Amino acid sequence: MNASVRLSASSLRAHKRRFAGTFLAVVLGVAFLTGTLVMGDTLRASFDSMFGNAAGGTDAVVRSADAITTPGESQGVRQPVRADLVRAVERVPGVAAAAPSIQGAGQLVGADGDPIGGQGPPTLAGNWITDPELNPYRLAEGRAPQRSGEVVVNRGAAEKGGLAIGDTTILRTPDPVEVTVVGLATFGGEDGMAQVTFTGMTRADAEKYLTARPGEAATIQVRAGPGVGQRELVDRLTPVLPEGVEAITGQESAAENTDMISSQFLTLFTTFLLVFSGIALLVATFSIHNTFAIVVAQRTRENALLRALGASRRQVTAATLVEAAAVAVTASAAGLAGGIGIAAGLQALFPAIGFPFPEGALVISALSLLLPLAVGVVVCLGSALLPAARAGRTAPLAALRETAVDTSGASRARAVTGTGMLVLALAVTLVGVLLSPSVWLAGAGAVLALASFVVLGPVASATAVRVLGAPLDRLRGVTGVLARRNALRSPKRTAATAGALMIGVAVVSLFTVFGASLKATMDQTVSRSFAGDVAVSAPSFGAGGSGLSPRLAGAVRELPEVDTAVGLGRGVAEVDGEGRALTVTDPAALNRTFDLGTVHGSLDDLGTDGIAVTGSEADKRGLTTGDTTRLTFTDGRSATFTVRAVYGQSELAGDYVITRAAWAPHRTQDSDTLVAVSFRNGVDADAGKAAVEKIAGQYGNPEVQTRDEYAQSSAGGIDMMLTLVYALLALAVLIALLGIANTLTLAVHERTRELGLLRAVGQTRAQLRAMVRWESVLVAAFGTVGGLGLGAFLGWVLVAASDGASDSAFAFALPPVQLTVVALVGLAAGALAGLRPARRASRLDVLRAVAAE
Amino acid sequence: MTTTTDVRAAARVVDAVKVYGGGDTAVRALDGVSVGFPAGRFTAIMGPSGSGKSTLMHCAAGLDTLTSGTARIGDTDLSTLDDRRLTLLRRDRVGFVFQAFNLVPTLTVAENITLPLDLAGRRGDTEWVDALIDVVGLRDRLHHRPAELSGGQQQRVAVARAFAGQPDVVFADEPTGNLDSRSGGEVLGLLRRTVRQTGRTVVMVTHDPVAAAHADEVVFLADGRLVDRMDAPTADKVLDRMKAFEVPS
Repeated sequence: MNASVRLSASSLRAHKRRFAGTFLAVVLGVAFLTGTLVMGDTLRASFDSMFGNAAGGTDAVVRSADAITTPGESQGVRQPVRADLVRAVERVPGVAAAAPSIQGAGQLVGADGDPIGGQGPPTLAGNWITDPELNPYRLAEGRAPQRSGEVVVNRGAAEKGGLAIGDTTILRTPDPVEVTVVGLATFGGEDGMAQVTFTGMTRADAEKYLTARPGEAATIQVRAGPGVGQRELVDRLTPVLPEGVEAITGQESAAENTDMISSQFLTLFTTFLLVFSGIALLVATFSIHNTFAIVVAQRTRENALLRALGASRRQVTAATLVEAAAVAVTASAAGLAGGIGIAAGLQALFPAIGFPFPEGALVISALSLLLPLAVGVVVCLGSALLPAARAGRTAPLAALRETAVDTSGASRARAVTGTGMLVLALAVTLVGVLLSPSVWLAGAGAVLALASFVVLGPVASATAVRVLGAPLDRLRGVTGVLARRNALRSPKRTAATAGALMIGVAVVSLFTVFGASLKATMDQTVSRSFAGDVAVSAPSFGAGGSGLSPRLAGAVRELPEVDTAVGLGRGVAEVDGEGRALTVTDPAALNRTFDLGTVHGSLDDLGTDGIAVTGSEADKRGLTTGDTTRLTFTDGRSATFTVRAVYGQSELAGDYVITRAAWAPHRTQDSDTLVAVSFRNGVDADAGKAAVEKIAGQYGNPEVQTRDEYAQSSAGGIDMMLTLVYALLALAVLIALLGIANTLTLAVHERTRELGLLRAVGQTRAQLRAMVRWESVLVAAFGTVGGLGLGAFLGWVLVAASDGASDSAFAFALPPVQLTVVALVGLAAGALAGLRPARRASRLDVLRAVAAE
Repeated sequence: MTTTTDVRAAARVVDAVKVYGGGDTAVRALDGVSVGFPAGRFTAIMGPSGSGKSTLMHCAAGLDTLTSGTARIGDTDLSTLDDRRLTLLRRDRVGFVFQAFNLVPTLTVAENITLPLDLAGRRGDTEWVDALIDVVGLRDRLHHRPAELSGGQQQRVAVARAFAGQPDVVFADEPTGNLDSRSGGEVLGLLRRTVRQTGRTVVMVTHDPVAAAHADEVVFLADGRLVDRMDAPTADKVLDRMKAFEVPS
């Protein structure tokens, strides 16, 4: 063993406790990272095998060739194919069987009257394909539907809704259909395709309720005869297919489905988690750096002695680095094990909380082992690099000097550099937000702002602690004075300790501010553009839910209390070659119930060839009233529309409005997403709402909400998101707290003699504990206040940049209650972090402390 | 040997025994010492290293506990006090001057002097503290930090701190051990002057005969036992007595 290694090994043995905090920080960060990667891989593999199993019998899929994809959606909308194409397909040599697959939205109502699912994953309905090889679902119990009204439901959905074979319930297609469950099905061996619900009906029912025109199917599933490969089958099918219809292999189809889940759900899921493990590791960097910096400072005499005895700089530096490497490798390895444990735990936990997690062994790829290991080692070694270099630079003479108080933090150069960076950051951000809106510029400014906070930390910490600690003097007397002065002792150390918490709190506040702003935006949108009294909406967060019956608006309109009721449906078309969402409605009534801003032209008479466009889209395409534009629908047909109106606000009404009559020839399954209702003058709000609810009850019982309720429920997803974000950020904050506790423990160790002296001259244990605790709270307060400021600023940048970069107006909101809670949690956490070091300090033996070298 | 009882003792130990460790490795640092430190006097404890002089001081001051025997400050039996009360007693009735590292580096000179008072939440006697500052001669340094003072100045601050709370007794443990002879002389003169002028009690542990000569009385310890006392010591007399330890008779 060479000298450096021997030195670091003995030092590690002697000071195991010092590295406990570092060790934990790396373990937590690496475990999070590993867990995320393993979970992601396992889920992906499970979905792969599930789709592979489900589509195993399908060798080719015949479908419409073109899809129209609107911005923000990953899967395009395809025109159906003629179901009678089955006959032509069956005549192709090598085809063993073919069946049309009709698919649409259909949401089941559970035994308790509440709809099943609809909070994200799709709620699907389709025909029950009688050829078991071609049907991705397998009958697990009961029988296939034979008569109209009979359905098979996937077992997961049935369990969730409390439905059993023989039960009768409602299926919203979105028109309510009374159905009887006659069988339960599985998908690829599981109780469902993740959280997707599926209802299989007879082919006649499916055609009746799920397609706009009889004789259409979404796809035709084809099975090959013996000896015919998938590719060969596709080649044979292609010649008999009409123009605009294509055949793909079963494998390609399964891969598309897997990709869809992967890109929509898994990639988002893993990216999200990776971002948060990145934040946790960033915070860990601060804690680790600090620990090594303190350890090196404490060892100045020892290192100086080594240098005086002839150790080279390189050897002293190497000794520290080897120590860091040893901690890094063991901690990363422990983190790997922990991460795999987390993944295994989640796999066991998910089914228990009702989230079907596909079974199967954990998939642990080389990447999910090597990446976290590398990241853990790099983070740990990188953080130790500067302290190690400093250890090497120790002058041999330092052994003879008393260790001086560290005042290096507050240097002029640092203040100048930091201020310069901050000014630059502000300038870049403001330009990016106000002058030439650019998310990239604003983002660069935000990162620069974060960096300048880190550089300025040691300069600011002295002032900040002095200001924040001012009340302590009066409140806690000399104990408070001591706590404050201790926190001021090493500005660099205080800043680095607080910096970790600052980043954690900054991200928490950023999300808090952004979430509140989004809510305020929704609220503003609804109150500004929704002029109706109540809204009927089928909650459709993501792709779930079946929407509202298009007949609901008409039925509500008949009520004596109601003045107008307008339903908004959704269509897609290519406008000048780009996929766009259309709002399909009664434009005249829309204008009465929604505030569309300034309207040029008139929405009253769009007819079948008129269209209304928002100002921003019109500007983009250079359209004014009277111009014409060409729309291509999913059925491949194009039509020329005349712009009859240009309106100002698009928030709820969408960018393009056409009439139901214009949409009818191209429609697929009809549904509305929203029915807006205005009452006649003098109608009591409660009475009106009750009347609408009564009608809604006959159409699958969607929710009827007042304007305020509607605004709030539109923002419902945000709270859910925030809760998740807070849970994930708890890890980063925990690591920051470990850092504070570790720094304090090391400081207590460093000040052993001083603490002994204080005890000797009459400081009680309680006073000593309070002193250490308040120091901890002060450091935490500095981090929390800095984080709140930074987070609020970054939140504003994000909101303002989004505002500038998109057409919709974003509102900025600072939620006082939530931010106060964040501040209090930060302070309480500081007190908590100080508990253990305080207890250790108060246990010091007075005599030994006074005598300690 | 019996204690002197003609003057009231500010601190005393009776039959003090202190054993460190146990079994074969047990060390009797104090082996039945009884001694009183009379009020208003400056007493020095001397003895060769390992004689138990520091242990005696620590036990008498309530920093350490006796294995058997009693230690009193005034009329208070220290063995009846728990850690909290001992701390309060040290704070209110005892002053300390250690060999080194006497001051809290983050506090100014003035804050260090009033530290025991501040810890107690007392204002103390401001005239007394004011007079002390003049006695130790540090008025122009009150707002400096300890790191800005010389070793001798630091020890003078420690002396002022020890007397600030008007304690029954001040214990000094080798207060000049780290100082050159001139600074050491200043500190010792200061201790002596303070005792004379204010009638306070000082007990000082030292191994330096010159330092001991500043005291009113010297008690000699050897092997954990009280072996002699000397009134009105001079450096030469003390040195002669000490030489007797080196060549056992």
